[in-house]
Amino acid sequence: MKNKEHRLKFVSFILCIISLLYVLSIIGCANIRLIADYDEQIDTSITSFQRKVEAFLTYLERNAGKDEAKYENNTKFYDEAMVDLSAIRVRAAANPKNEITIKQIDLLYENISNLEKLHKWVFLPNRYSQYAQPLIQLVQLF
Amino acid sequence: MPNIDISALLTNMLSAAKEPLLQKWSETSGYAESEFKKIGEAILFIEKQRLIGKMTEEQAKLHLEMQKNASRAILLTIEGLGILAVEAAINAALSVIRDTVNTALKFPLI
Repeated sequence: MKNKEHRLKFVSFILCIISLLYVLSIIGCANIRLIADYDEQIDTSITSFQRKVEAFLTYLERNAGKDEAKYENNTKFYDEAMVDLSAIRVRAAANPKNEITIKQIDLLYENISNLEKLHKWVFLPNRYSQYAQPLIQLVQLF
Repeated sequence: MPNIDISALLTNMLSAAKEPLLQKWSETSGYAESEFKKIGEAILFIEKQRLIGKMTEEQAKLHLEMQKNASRAILLTIEGLGILAVEAAINAALSVIRDTVNTALKFPLI
């Protein structure tokens, strides 16, 4: 009787060890992801966005002091930039573990929006203007 | 003639930001120094523009916000540094210079 009890305890102990090893092996084999996978479409869209911003700042620089550089003649750039960034954000949000990239896109969106407000008030944010520096730093980050 | 001493501000900003970034300080201190320098330059630019009457308070706040956003995004590129830690570091760095900057500019920029 005592021997049977002893065997039962031993078998249950072995079963516990096996199930523990099984769980550990599953955890060990699982692909734990801390950041999102590389997304080629986001990369391409951001590169195209960078070009758009650089082209805009070059255009303002060439037309500094002229009507062409005034805010009211450049609203199209701001509209397109906002649409581009919203589309990039939607794509980024579809990937899991992408919070940092989404936050960076939000910050870029906010900087475009702030630059637009500054542009409305006379200031012309050409490439060398201190006003454009935070936007350039952010755009070059991606 | 600007009143704000950016290099003195930078030292205070760095020591204030050290606590929120302590776990990653060896990796982040260089980035933090570079970003706080940019924030300092933005404040100096604002002071100069205000002295010649070319910037309103609202425009100054927008400009500083743009620089803070750029610095936030750059600090977020450091591996393992989260959104909350970055925000805490920037807030700590700015709160330690708030009185000096606001007094020199004669309006609450920070």
